[in-house]
Amino acid sequence: MSYFTENKGFDTLSATSENRPQPMLEARGLTKSFGGLMATKNVSLHVNPGESLGIIGPNGAGKTTLLNLLTKEITPDQGSVFLNGNCIDRLSIHKRVLAGLARTYQVPRPFHDLTIQEHIRVGMMPDGLFDMLLHGADDEKELKIAESVGLGGERAQQYPYELAMGDLRRLELVRTLATEPSILLLDEVFAGLTVKEIDQISELLTNRRATHSTTYMIVSHDLKALEPLVDRVVVINFGEVMTEGTFREVVADTDVQNAYLGTGWEQE
Amino acid sequence: MFAKGTNKGFLGWMIFGIAMLALPLFASSATVRIFVFANYIAIFAISWDVLSGRTGYISFGHPFLIGIGGYTTALLTHHLDMPLYITIPAAVLVTMIAGTLFFLPALRIRGTYFALVTLAFMELMYGLVQVVAPDITGGTRGLTGLPSIVTGAVSNYYLSFGVMFTLGLAMWLLIRTRLGTALGSIGMNEEAVRACGLNTTKLKLFAFTLSAMIAGLGGAMYIHYLGSIAPRGLFDVSFLFTILVACLLGGAGTITGPIMGAFFLTLLLEFLRPYIPGSERYLIYGVATLVLYVLQPRGIHRLIQITVNWFVEGFMRRKST
Ligand SMILES: Nc1ncnc2c1ncn2[C@@H]1O[C@H](COP(=O)(O)OP(=O)(O)OP(=O)(O)O)[C@@H](O)[C@H]1O
Ligand SMILES: [Mg+2]
Repeated sequence: MSYFTENKGFDTLSATSENRPQPMLEARGLTKSFGGLMATKNVSLHVNPGESLGIIGPNGAGKTTLLNLLTKEITPDQGSVFLNGNCIDRLSIHKRVLAGLARTYQVPRPFHDLTIQEHIRVGMMPDGLFDMLLHGADDEKELKIAESVGLGGERAQQYPYELAMGDLRRLELVRTLATEPSILLLDEVFAGLTVKEIDQISELLTNRRATHSTTYMIVSHDLKALEPLVDRVVVINFGEVMTEGTFREVVADTDVQNAYLGTGWEQE
Repeated sequence: MFAKGTNKGFLGWMIFGIAMLALPLFASSATVRIFVFANYIAIFAISWDVLSGRTGYISFGHPFLIGIGGYTTALLTHHLDMPLYITIPAAVLVTMIAGTLFFLPALRIRGTYFALVTLAFMELMYGLVQVVAPDITGGTRGLTGLPSIVTGAVSNYYLSFGVMFTLGLAMWLLIRTRLGTALGSIGMNEEAVRACGLNTTKLKLFAFTLSAMIAGLGGAMYIHYLGSIAPRGLFDVSFLFTILVACLLGGAGTITGPIMGAFFLTLLLEFLRPYIPGSERYLIYGVATLVLYVLQPRGIHRLIQITVNWFVEGFMRRKST
């Protein structure tokens, strides 16, 4: 199993060795510090095509920072990011999105004056000024995408301020889906939701996984909700990869249980 | 190509256009001159709205852009006797280039700082024009006796109205395309726009260049209408505030709102002139603005929308019973 123990660090050759598939997304030695605080330390991990990888770790472990580094929201002090085997360090956020790497935010970032349908329009927007200017919106497709997360029909005309947290998360998701990502990074999709909303989002993602070939990286505090959605889990603690494995393996790990003590899993 | 509801809005533009075309038929030439002034304020307001109203990058430096346009054509006509059909396009071009060079670094900073940096440009220009080569720029006194494009109140009215109407309608149509939606979304959440795969720098630069073009054209035409240019009139906080207040009062980001705001402000000032001749008038308009803003933060534009909808709905209801 352990990809990690084999090539922690910068061993570029082994990353493409014959018996492993080419990872869809790979981080090698990502390091970022804010002043004296090391938010991520030499983080290496990968997601295979079609796989769903869970990222767990206590508050402040550096999960969001990791996503920010992968999408270039922030620039790493050290380390590289590879998409389909190509180094994408030089690509800016929007170029990475165009290359198929998209993410949602832990705190939803809606456009306060746009309807749900218009959010999808921005997500679908091509990055050419003339294209934007001369070609109108594809009403039908926009509504179809809205429908796919349960925000279709009349609901597509609602504004963010009319939405509950669960629907704001959906809106965040659908805006990202509209960019047609091949790999989707989801930051805390379940945070702040009611039990019912968690079930709905979870079901939505499960169905989507069954029907689309999208690759996922899902950050979540809610281990129970995460379990059915992921093939493999990476645990991050104090900015470092602590362990990785299947969901069962990881939650059975005593170090992981200690890191989470009082905050999560054992209440199950 | 255009968003829903464009036809309905277009009807509004036509009614506005016809009313404005007919105005000189029954208004005195003094009134017509007030409207010329309103047209120019409206052009400046449109320019501000394309950039700041849409993208949320609040510019305090529009007088700086207007000044570049004004000074370019003033210098070329005054010193080199060049014809207006060359100097005005040149002024537009210089404003776009010089403006972009100055604003480019500023477009990387957000919020209050952008506003302050642009304000600094205006102040800088005010200082520079007086100190650097005053024999060329006319220094504090400025330049007078500049040629006019057309003569007479009515001709100037039609000219300024034609330009204002064309620019206004074009920009209004622009914000109703997908490009307009993209520009507007920057003002709401720039990071999310990038996360949608859009190059926000390119979009901001486009909005800025367009805004500078309109400011340069408006500035150049305006000083030829006045026949003179002086730093005090242009790089002045009250001139800046007239533009800003027109936009906020009318409803920023809507193009039609700032035009309404420009007319409302200009007419209000003129209406108050006989009663309060001094600059205390500005106090009154400040208060009037504040009251309106508290009542409807989205401005006159929204007030009119609500009123029209109210009448239409009432009419429909009566018809259906
Ligand atoms: N821009 C920043 N400047 C300074 N410190 C930061 C910044 N972003 C993150 N940090 C710090 O880095 C650490 C990791 O933060 P991060 O948001 O990545 O954690 P997280 O695992 O996502 O936590 P949570 O579960 O609360 O979302 C925290 O201590 C945080 O305070
Ligand atoms: Mg986080």
